[in-house]
Amino acid sequence: MSDKRIGVISCSGEECVGGTISRLAVRKMMEELRPGIVSTLCLPLFIAGDGGEREFAEKYPTIAVDGCSKCCAKRAIEKYSSAVAGSIDVAEIIGQEAALGKPLSTRNLTEEHLAYVKEVADKTSEIFDAILVK
Amino acid sequence: MSKIKVIPCSGIGKVFGLLARESVLMVTQEKCPNETETFCLAHVVTGDDEIVDKIKGETCITMDGCAKYCSKKSVEETGGIVVKSHKVPDFMKAHRGEEHGTGTYLTEDGWKYAEELADILVKDVKEVMEGVKVNV
Ligand code: SF4
Ligand code: SF4
Repeated sequence: MSDKRIGVISCSGEECVGGTISRLAVRKMMEELRPGIVSTLCLPLFIAGDGGEREFAEKYPTIAVDGCSKCCAKRAIEKYSSAVAGSIDVAEIIGQEAALGKPLSTRNLTEEHLAYVKEVADKTSEIFDAILVK
Repeated sequence: MSKIKVIPCSGIGKVFGLLARESVLMVTQEKCPNETETFCLAHVVTGDDEIVDKIKGETCITMDGCAKYCSKKSVEETGGIVVKSHKVPDFMKAHRGEEHGTGTYLTEDGWKYAEELADILVKDVKEVMEGVKVNV
C-alpha cells in the first residue's frame, strides 16, 4: 500500500445538516474507507494553532469537504495554508434544500442522513484515489 | 437584547470536539432556543463580512474541545465578546474512567456528559440574561 497520506478536512459546520454530513463523511473515510492514509485537522486550528498547522496543505495534498456552497473549509485552507487538491460541496451532492436543513445532532441521524454520508464519503474517496495514483 | 451566540469548536479528531458540538446543539435547539443561537465556526474563521457582522460586538459563549481554544480565539479575533469560555476536559474529573465515544459517535455516558456540559452552558446563559457579571 502507498505510504502517501492525503489531507481531508471538513468544515464540520454547526448551522446546517450539510455541516454534520461533511464531518461524518470525513470520519467515515478515516475509520472505514481509507483508514491509516487520511490526515485530518480541526479546521479552526489554521488560525488558532501555533503555526505548524498552516503548513498542512503544503505538506499533504488536501481535499476540502464543505457542507454548503459557502465552501468555508476550502476558502479557509486556501487563505491560511495552500491551494486545495480537490473539493466537495455536500449541497451539490444531496441537494441545497437537504443540506441547508436545521442543525443536525448525531442523535437524530436517520437512514436518509446515513445514505447522504455514504454518498459524500464515496465521492470524496474517488477524488482521494485519483490524487493517490498521481 | 439579541440572542447570545454559543459557539463550539469544530474538533474532529477526538470525542471532545463532538461533545462540545452536541452540548451546544442541545442548548441552541432544545434548552434555550429563544435566547441563544449558534454559527459555523468554520464560517467565522473565513472572516466573511456576513458572519463578522453577526458576531462583532455580540455576547458570545464558547465551548472548546481542548486547550487550543480554537472557538474562543477565533470568535475573539472576529470581534465577538466572549463572556464565558469553557473546554470539555475541564469537567472530566467526575467522569474519569468512562468511555464517551469517538469523534463520530457518543456512548450513553458520552450523552450524559454532553447533557452536563449543556447545563453548564444554560447556567451561563441565565447569568448573562440576568446581567450578572461573569468572569472569563
Ligand atoms: S460551508 Fe456551509 S455548513 Fe460549512 S461551515 Fe461554511 S456555512 Fe457552515
Ligand atoms: S479546540 Fe482543540 S478540539 Fe477544538 S477545534 Fe481546536 S484543536 Fe480541535
